[in-house]
Order: sequence, then C-alpha cells, then structure tokens
Amino acid sequence: MSDALVVFDDVVKRFGDFVAVKRMNLEVRRGEFLALMGPSGCGKTTTLRMLAGLELPTEGDITLEGKSLLQVKPHERDTPMVWQSLALFPFLDVRENVEFGLKMRGVAAEERRRRAEDWLERLGIGEFAARNVQQLSGGQRQRVALARALVTEPQILLLDEPLSALDAHLVIRMQGVLTRLQRELGITFVYVTHSQSEAFAMADRVVIMSDGEIAQIGAPRDIYRAPANRFVAEFVGRNNILSGKVARLEGDDAVVATPAGDLGVTVAEDRKVAVGENVSFVIAADLVRLSQAPPGDGNAVPVSLISEEFIGSVVTLFLESADGTEFKAQLQERELADIDLKQAKELYLSWPAASGHLLAGST
Amino acid sequence: MADAAHGAGLAKKGGGRPDGYALFFRLPMVFWQLAFFIGPLVFMIAMSFFLVKNYRMVEAFEFANWAKMLGRGYFWDSFLLTLGMATLSTLVVTALAFPASYALAFKVSPTVRRWAIFFLIVPFFTSYLVRTFSWYVILAESGVINAILGFIGLGPYIMLNTKFGTIVGYMTLTLPLVVILQTLSLAHVDRSLIEAAHNLGCGRLRTVFTVIVPLAKVGLIIGAVFCFILSFGDFVSPYYLGGSKPPTLPILIIDTTKSGQQWPRAAVVAIMMMITLLTVAFTAIALAYRRRVK
Amino acid sequence: MTDDRAVRWILRVYLVLIFAFVFAPILASVVFSFNSQRFPTIPLGHFSLQWYDAILNDPDVWAAVRTSALVSVSTAVLATFIGFCTAYTDYRYGFRFKGAYLALALLPPTIPLIILALAMLAWLSKIGASGHVWSIIIAHTVLCAPFAMAVIRLRLQQMDRNLEPAAWNLGASEWRTMGQVVIPFTKPAIISALCLTAAVSFDEFAVAWFISGLNKTVPVMILEIVTGNIDPQVNAIGTFVFITSITLVVIAQILIMTREDKSGAQT
Repeated sequence: MSDALVVFDDVVKRFGDFVAVKRMNLEVRRGEFLALMGPSGCGKTTTLRMLAGLELPTEGDITLEGKSLLQVKPHERDTPMVWQSLALFPFLDVRENVEFGLKMRGVAAEERRRRAEDWLERLGIGEFAARNVQQLSGGQRQRVALARALVTEPQILLLDEPLSALDAHLVIRMQGVLTRLQRELGITFVYVTHSQSEAFAMADRVVIMSDGEIAQIGAPRDIYRAPANRFVAEFVGRNNILSGKVARLEGDDAVVATPAGDLGVTVAEDRKVAVGENVSFVIAADLVRLSQAPPGDGNAVPVSLISEEFIGSVVTLFLESADGTEFKAQLQERELADIDLKQAKELYLSWPAASGHLLAGST
Repeated sequence: MADAAHGAGLAKKGGGRPDGYALFFRLPMVFWQLAFFIGPLVFMIAMSFFLVKNYRMVEAFEFANWAKMLGRGYFWDSFLLTLGMATLSTLVVTALAFPASYALAFKVSPTVRRWAIFFLIVPFFTSYLVRTFSWYVILAESGVINAILGFIGLGPYIMLNTKFGTIVGYMTLTLPLVVILQTLSLAHVDRSLIEAAHNLGCGRLRTVFTVIVPLAKVGLIIGAVFCFILSFGDFVSPYYLGGSKPPTLPILIIDTTKSGQQWPRAAVVAIMMMITLLTVAFTAIALAYRRRVK
Repeated sequence: MTDDRAVRWILRVYLVLIFAFVFAPILASVVFSFNSQRFPTIPLGHFSLQWYDAILNDPDVWAAVRTSALVSVSTAVLATFIGFCTAYTDYRYGFRFKGAYLALALLPPTIPLIILALAMLAWLSKIGASGHVWSIIIAHTVLCAPFAMAVIRLRLQQMDRNLEPAAWNLGASEWRTMGQVVIPFTKPAIISALCLTAAVSFDEFAVAWFISGLNKTVPVMILEIVTGNIDPQVNAIGTFVFITSITLVVIAQILIMTREDKSGAQT
C-alpha cells in the first residue's frame, strides 16, 4: 500500500451504452514506468484521461496518494500529460509553451523564464526557445511537449501515445530520452501505447487491456514468457499457440493431443489440469530448436519450411507440420549454420516441455 | 463511440446539466434572437389581424386585412409580377453564372480560383444601393451605354424602367453569390468521373449536362434558391431600375407601411412572401436531394 | 487539341466579362465622383473634386457618418460577441435541441430584409424601442451575428480538440483557458468577424430606413437623396462607402487567408 501512488478502485466508465472501462482495479506504484497497452478501443486512453480528470468515472474511485480525485477538477490536479497530437499552443513560442503551467501556478515571470530555459537546455532544444512551435521538427516538438509537462516538477507524468507520429529511427531515440528522464527524475510515468515494442522496451510493468478489462499485468519478460490467456498470447505475438485435450499426465507434465501430435507441457504448481480437459499452451518462437535429425527427448514436430525472414542476425522461419499447423521459429543465424534449409528433406522443431506455458481457461 | 467522447473534452454530452460556464456561452444568442428576431416575426403575424382606426393600430383578431389585401386585384398583380420576375432572374442568373463557374472550377488553377472567389465576396459586402444607382446612370437614356452605342449609330435604347433594368439590378445583387456557390459545388465533383465519361466517348457538352450537372445538382439548386430569395425580397432594383409599375411585393410593403400607417396590411403582404419563399425553398431542396439519392 | 484551347479561351473571355459586370458599377461610381458633369456620360467631363467639396461641407453628411460609425462599431462588437459564444457552444458542446439552437442562430440571413424591417419596426415600436440609434444597433446585431458565428466557427474547426484539455491539464481553469487559449487562437477570426459585421452594418439600409427615425445612417441618406433626384454627390458618398466597406472586407479576407496558410503549415 505504501508504494501505491495511484489506485483505481472498481472503476467503471460508460459512454451511453458503450462500456469503455469495466470494473478496473489497478495500482500504479511510486516511481515506476507503467505502460498501458492494448488495441485501439480497449479503454487505455480513457483510463489515462480519467486519471487526468478529463473524464469522470461512472462508478468507483481513483485515488492519488490515498486521496480521492473524484471532486478534483482537471486544472487542480498535478497530472501533466503529453498528448498524442502534442497539443502545443500554436500562438505561443517554444519558451512560452513551456512556461504555461508555471504561469497558471502564479510563478513570477523571471523565475518562469529561468525554469523553462533550464528544461529546454536539459532536453537539448535550448537554442529554439524563441522559435514558433510550427517551425520545429517532429522530434523537437516532442521535446517541447515533454518540457512543458515536466517543468512543474510533477510526481507523475501521463503520456498518451506520444511517439506514434514519429519516424521509426526517432522513436528509438525518444525511447532512450524517456527512459533516461524517468530514471533520473524518479517520477512515475504512465504511458499509453498500442505498440508492444515501445511498451516492452521502456516499461517496468505493462498492463495489457482488452475490451475495457485488464488482461494481464506484469513485467515485460513475464508477460512474454507466461501470457495469462489467449488474448495476451496472440497480442504479444511471436508465440506458437497450440490447443488440444489432455491425453495423460506424466509427472509434472501434461501430454496434450494437438493436431500436430502429442506434446508435453510442464504444469505450473498453482495450475490443475485433468485428463480429458481442453487446454491451450504457448511455446515462444525463440525457445525452439531446429534440427535435421529427430532429437532424442522433449517435444518434436516434423515440419517443412514455408518462408524465412531475416532481421539482422535473427532469422524468423515460418514452418508447417504435416497436418497444416503453422509454427514460427526465431533463431540466431549461427544456429542455422549447419542446416541446409533449401536442401533439407526433413526438419524437426523441438523444445523441452518446461519451455511451454499453459494458458488459463479451458480452451 | 469512445472517440466522440474524447472529442468532447470533459464529457458534457447528455445527462450532465450545463454549468455556469456553458450557459454563459449558450444563452446570449438565444436571448437576443428570441427577443429581436423571433419576437418581431411572431408579432408581425399577430399584427396582421390587428385593426387600424383613426391612423392608430388597435389590437384585435379580425381577418379584415387579409380579406382586404387578398381580395384586391392589385395585390395579385404584384404577387404574380414578383414571382415571375424572381423566377426569371433565377433562370437568367443561373444560366449566365454556369459557364463562369464551370471555367473557375475546371479551367483555371486553384490559386486563380481562390482569388476569383475573394473578388466575388468583396461586392457582396459593399453597398448594393450605390451599385444600383451607378447602373441607373450607366443605363439611362443619355447614359454611358447609349453614348457608346451612339458612336456606332445605334440607339438610344430605353433600358431604365423596364424589366431589363430590374433584371440587371437583380444580377448585381445575386450573380457574385451564385457564381461562388456554383463554383464550390462544381469544384467538388470527382474529376475521375468526368474523365471516365470522356473515356466512354461522351462529348464535352454531353459530359457537362449528363455527368457534371447531375453531380453538382444540390449546389446548383441551393445557388438558385438563394438567387430567388434575394430577388424576391429586393425592393431597390424594381423601384429604381424597373420603374415600379406595377409595384413588386417589397415595394407594396414599403408603400403600405410608409403611407397611412397600414402596418397590418403590410404584414399580410410580408406573410404571403414568407409562405411563398418557404414553399419554393423547401420544394427545391427536397427535389434536389430526392433526385440525388436515386 | 486546338478545339480545347478555343473553348478554354472563350471561357476565359466570358469570365472577364462576368467580372466586368460585377465591378462595373463600383468603378463607374468612383470615376463619376471625380467627374464635373451633373449627369455623367461619355465623353467624360473634366476632373473635379466639387462633389467631395459639397459633401465635406454638408453637416447632414457628417451627422450620418457619425451615426453610421457608431452603429457599425457597436453592431460589430455585439454581433461578434454573440457569434463567438454561439460558435464556441457549437464547437464544444452537444446537447438536446442543438439543431434548433443552430437554426435559430443561422436563420436571419434567409429572411428578406424588407420583411425583417417591417417586423422589427412593429415590434420595436410595440416595446418602445423604435427610432433610436440603439434600435438600429439591436436590429443590425440580429442580422450580423450569423456572419460572425460562421467565420469564428470555421476557425475553431482548426483548433486541436485537445488544446483546451491541455491547458486545463497544465493548471488553467475553464475561464482562464478561454482567455489564454481559445481567444488567442481565434483572434484572427475575431478581427475578421468584427470587420465583416461592421461592413454589413455599414451598408445595410432597408432595416435602418424603417426603424432609424431621425437618426439617418449613410445608406439611408443615400436612399433618400436618390429617391428625390439625380445628385452626383451620391457618387462621392458612394465612393466613400465603398472604400470603407471594401477596406473592412479585404482586411477580413486577408486574415482568413493567412490563417489558412498557417494552419496548412502546421499539419
């Protein structure tokens, strides 16, 4: 409780008949970088806007440092936001934009100027202070928006898909700027995005939302390795999802009869499965091996190659088993050194049962 | 759905009662237009049932003014003249404006089009009265046009106090607006449809009438409706350039109001004008949209 | 191909003729105002400032100019205020009966002026508000507010939906945001609306004629002069009226055009 800065307590948000957020319970910890991620329309932006006071929850409560925000108007909250459209004031120059929040708080002109210029320096755009915001490049305007939100030294910063309008190479650079800032300042970032790479690259914890509900909360690695359900597994991608009936139990493992054959998967301690139950499990694309001879133990599926995709030293192979089940395998190029993909008659995909992860639910 | 709500900023749609801030911006127009726009129009309708006794208006509910005005031949002469002239003006202006709008929409660069529209807006906000008086001097029997025609041995032609003079006046009022409205609607016609028509061997003139006009129909009709409303309600041209014999309905309103305090009878004329305009406007617009849906 | 060029040239000549027709009366009026003849024709008389002399020495003209200036400035301010409020309401809020609300706001220009003139004369007499300078201001505000609303609404259309929330988010109350963000953003349109409504009011004669009583505006005076006889003074006054309204309209349009360019660069 002590490290929770913001608490969403049974929050529901409806727009007419449309339920944007369904009974959400969420704690945002002090000083963490939290990403809210999900497809468009999943309620992530609405959640952020409720935190900023731009929407009021239909039910439930949101607290900041234990105090309810329901009666606090947007301009009385200290929850600055970086907007997807940036929403810079076009009739003000760069410095005046940054000063805006200080001016509204009654900070004297000289002090305002000094602090605004400090922040512009810190973000590397000090030389543009007197420019019109429309004369700046996308990346520079991004920094102005950041400086404008941070100049009041808030304890929490809200970011609504701030990088979605930038070119790919600028996105990577801004990700670096954001993570460094967040570590240095030690303040809480709540970051809304639909991009998995942004969320996983920067966040301490990721909240995956679907249809107004939280599908999973966890560190990027945990979500990647152990998706809680099918939605998360599919949304995160790079996973092979297999389904079938549990044929038998062997020690810690369940053997599942999938169309691609009987495959073993380790059952976690807190999970119970019964013979005959329908289950799904995932095997991450980067946890499989590929060989020309059948491996001695573990799961093995004979496959044929459909296509391959090179990204740097990583190769993604798209494979197919005899029954038509598609598999993805992500391998280092050197792992493939002794396999002649073009000529090989037989290929085997294999992985130990412990690499598989059973999804929740019985489908 | 969520997007619409985002757009609204603080969700104030439905449910919530508007606060003081919202009302501050919402109410001034409502107050002003009810007090000084709807109020006068409603009062005018009531006034058409009042009586005038000894040059003073007495509040009453009698049909005397209606019977008196609608029972007179000269009212219907005026009515038909006004209707006829406004219709003629609409046809003439629409026909004369179309080639110009077509040229502006398809045959000039966007920059030229923007400047042309700029120059067409200017007269719309300049004194129509002075422009009409200027025509009076130009069209007079010893005026500029007849002087020029005289050099080549023509004329003089009588142009003032004729229907021609009235139409020139109406054109002064309506032509710029109609060209603007037509140009805007033509400029929105999808060019690929025109090219498709040409590809299919449709000639230039045929393309104009079978492809472009139907596609731009709503805009063309709205231009014509505005032309009709403005011509129908104008008293300056028929009075100064048309000679006012017989008077059009707007002149009838002025004569009836300014002489003898017969405001209630003027109200009858005004109401008849409103009914006519509403009928014409709604019929035309209904027609424009119905055909388009087909 | 030559056929195409011919059509193009014919259309261009036609376009020039149309513009000649539109601007002929304006130019003629200016030319005649510097012409010595009492009834101008071709060939023109010699250059003369006599008509300007005449109007400059006419106290009635000065009185009318003062009345017109007072009316159009007051109308511009009132109509622009009402137009701004209406445009902002339309931009920001959705509510029941919004269709009726907008119809009420935009209807006046579709009613012939002569009908409004009669209705306002009757109504203002009834409530004891007829025959004053401010009677004209009241009536002209009804006529002009829709123009102001349209111009300002177009500008608000270009305002990022998140601009106001961004200001609240940085600690500005709704009222402060109005002053610090919405009004600065719409400023070119507000000035534009002030100019346009002033021009409309400055030129309006039908309603002013009916309800002005003894307080004649410039157009009402012109109307009364031309009803009597042909007096070239009208050309001099008319030129003055043209210059005033064209200046106002051109300022308004330049502001509208530059702001379009700016927003174009923005996206």
